[in-house]
Amino acid sequence: MIVERSHAPLPATPLVELRAVSRRFVKRAERHRSFQDLFIRLLRRRKPPQDLFWPLRNVSLAVHPGDSIGVIGPNGSGKSTLLKLITGILEPTGGELYVHGRISSLLELGAGFQPDLTGRENIYLNGSIYGLTRAEIDARLDDIIAYAELGDFIDTPVKHYSSGMHVRLGFAVAIYTEPDLLLVDEVLAVGDAAFQRKCLHSIQQYRDRGGTLFLVSHDLDAVQSICQRVIWLEDGEVQADGAPTDVVMAYLNHVAQTEQEKARRAGIPSSAEIENRRWGTGKVRITAVELLDTDGQPSKVFYSGAPLSVRLRYEAAETVANPVFGLAIHHDNGAHIAGPNTRFGGLEIPRLEPVGSLTYTIPALPLLEGQYVISVAAVDSVDSETYDYHDRRYPFQVFPGQANERYGLISLGGEWRLDPASEPSQADPALEARRPEAVTQTRS
Amino acid sequence: MAHRLAELFRYRDLVRNLVVSELKARYKNSVLGFVWSLLNPLGMMVVFTLVFGVLWPNNQIEKYPLFLLCGLLPWNYFSASVVSSMNSIVGNGSLIKKVYFPREVLPIATVLAQLANFLLAFIVLFAVLLIFRSNLSPWLWLLPVIILIQTAFALGIALILSTLNVFYRDTAIVMEVLMLAWFFLTPIFYSIKQLPTHYAFLGMNLDVHRIAYIVNPMASFVNMYRDMLYYGYRTDPDFFFRTAATAVVILAFGYWFFIRYSSRFGEEV
Repeated sequence: MIVERSHAPLPATPLVELRAVSRRFVKRAERHRSFQDLFIRLLRRRKPPQDLFWPLRNVSLAVHPGDSIGVIGPNGSGKSTLLKLITGILEPTGGELYVHGRISSLLELGAGFQPDLTGRENIYLNGSIYGLTRAEIDARLDDIIAYAELGDFIDTPVKHYSSGMHVRLGFAVAIYTEPDLLLVDEVLAVGDAAFQRKCLHSIQQYRDRGGTLFLVSHDLDAVQSICQRVIWLEDGEVQADGAPTDVVMAYLNHVAQTEQEKARRAGIPSSAEIENRRWGTGKVRITAVELLDTDGQPSKVFYSGAPLSVRLRYEAAETVANPVFGLAIHHDNGAHIAGPNTRFGGLEIPRLEPVGSLTYTIPALPLLEGQYVISVAAVDSVDSETYDYHDRRYPFQVFPGQANERYGLISLGGEWRLDPASEPSQADPALEARRPEAVTQTRS
Repeated sequence: MAHRLAELFRYRDLVRNLVVSELKARYKNSVLGFVWSLLNPLGMMVVFTLVFGVLWPNNQIEKYPLFLLCGLLPWNYFSASVVSSMNSIVGNGSLIKKVYFPREVLPIATVLAQLANFLLAFIVLFAVLLIFRSNLSPWLWLLPVIILIQTAFALGIALILSTLNVFYRDTAIVMEVLMLAWFFLTPIFYSIKQLPTHYAFLGMNLDVHRIAYIVNPMASFVNMYRDMLYYGYRTDPDFFFRTAATAVVILAFGYWFFIRYSSRFGEEV
């Protein structure tokens, strides 16, 4: 094990470099030992079996000045351990670790605040925890106070602060320490929405100024928009390291597969429940419903914009004339999104063979991220007799994939066009009067 | 170890801020905070004088309150440093798990805050000195050096115990008993001169007086303070250097011990 740390970046050297770094933990039944235990163990002369686990295994990566790296992965994948190794809170069990430069971490905002001291005093205390000297904090003090938006509260003991004020002050100190490397761990999940945006904006500004960023988050959108490189960590190992969209897609695919696995293992809901959601005369029976992905493989997870096919297999006791097959797609929240059927689709079935299948293909799925469920039905030509109806029995999930749209349930596929005005715009005078400047003018 | 010391120097402002915030927090909470810290040794002085002057007057020490204070104040400084720094790592566990900084700043800041308290308590001591018109030593300029050596000793012990407490949480309980024993074994309310020079134990002839002196650095410290402030003596160079050497060794060992195990604090606290 080799560990080297210095507080100043070296020229032509990565800020952080890990070579085959591993970290081992010992799971203990009892967390804290005591002399009493030690004494008892010495008497027993038997080593208790050690339960080992490796939150990080053989991880190699380099962070160069100016990089902005996102780290994604499920809970327990080793992300936090990685950050703690880089900051120096933990030491690696094996491998080589080189850190050159000053690091600030937004692991926990306001950690180390002393409740009895005022905000101003805590800025000095917290700044020095990040390794700043008094003079360096003096130079940043006004900016920090302005950024934290605390006003006169800056000279009030921190114990009287709201949690929002606490977080604002903590973030302000951390961002203004101007570290060589900024570590961010799910920090965007705190504070109100406005402050979250401000944090995100500050992090982007820090990055644009040439700051180096290491961002751990479950928010894949944020990771993709801020970072120019993404590392997918799982089971303590680097699964992928590269361009954000590629790595995020690979990760989502993996998540989808695992969820499919899980769904398959969980099995189908109990038969009674299913019978309750199925009715009909049985003249035509829908025997199987499959949702197929791009490759024609059955799946329960799809991407926005990618193909989705629904294949119905049926059996009929006798030949049936002019049946109509249909689908209904519902969002998890109950909204009925679409109801295509063979008649609307222009597929006439004058005579139905006793056994066969029907396929409905959506070339580019317009649904956005979410949980959806499909119902299928077979009815007679005038919708007076229901042969078979499976009410909301086939759930599936949609991931964003490479689609950019985020709001609502579906993508309308429309196009935007900007026309630079050739003549002065004709503004609505009523709206014009309501503009803020106009209001202040009338007041003054 | 050299780069750890350099790092510690880089974080000197953190040490100062921690000391200041600890003192501010202590004295801000009660208006009487500062006065209390002076009343405490005075109260102890009254109690001990009452016990050994009136209730159980077998004590032939003159100017007893001054004599007592010369031992009690250094002891209080030592004992408060050890007890409060022992918890300095475990008590700041949440911070240690979140942010990296050289962990030794915590026990160092705790001991230095106690030092500030000790220096304030000298106000009481000098007031009592004036009342009893003790003859001050011409070597009084050595007093800051003695305080420095004692601080080094206390810091060494603090580094060892704060580390032990991370791994063995009953350190505090064990130390509670040990500190009480240490208090009684140190000539604070009695004089080391009262200890027997001959004591037969298992057929051996023990010089208790000398053993107490050599084995217990705190006995030497208390005696040095008394030489300076009570007897007006120049203090024994032999014991002075011996104690200084002990303090340096303890500090060096404590620092090495702390550094060796501090990388595991992040997972153990």
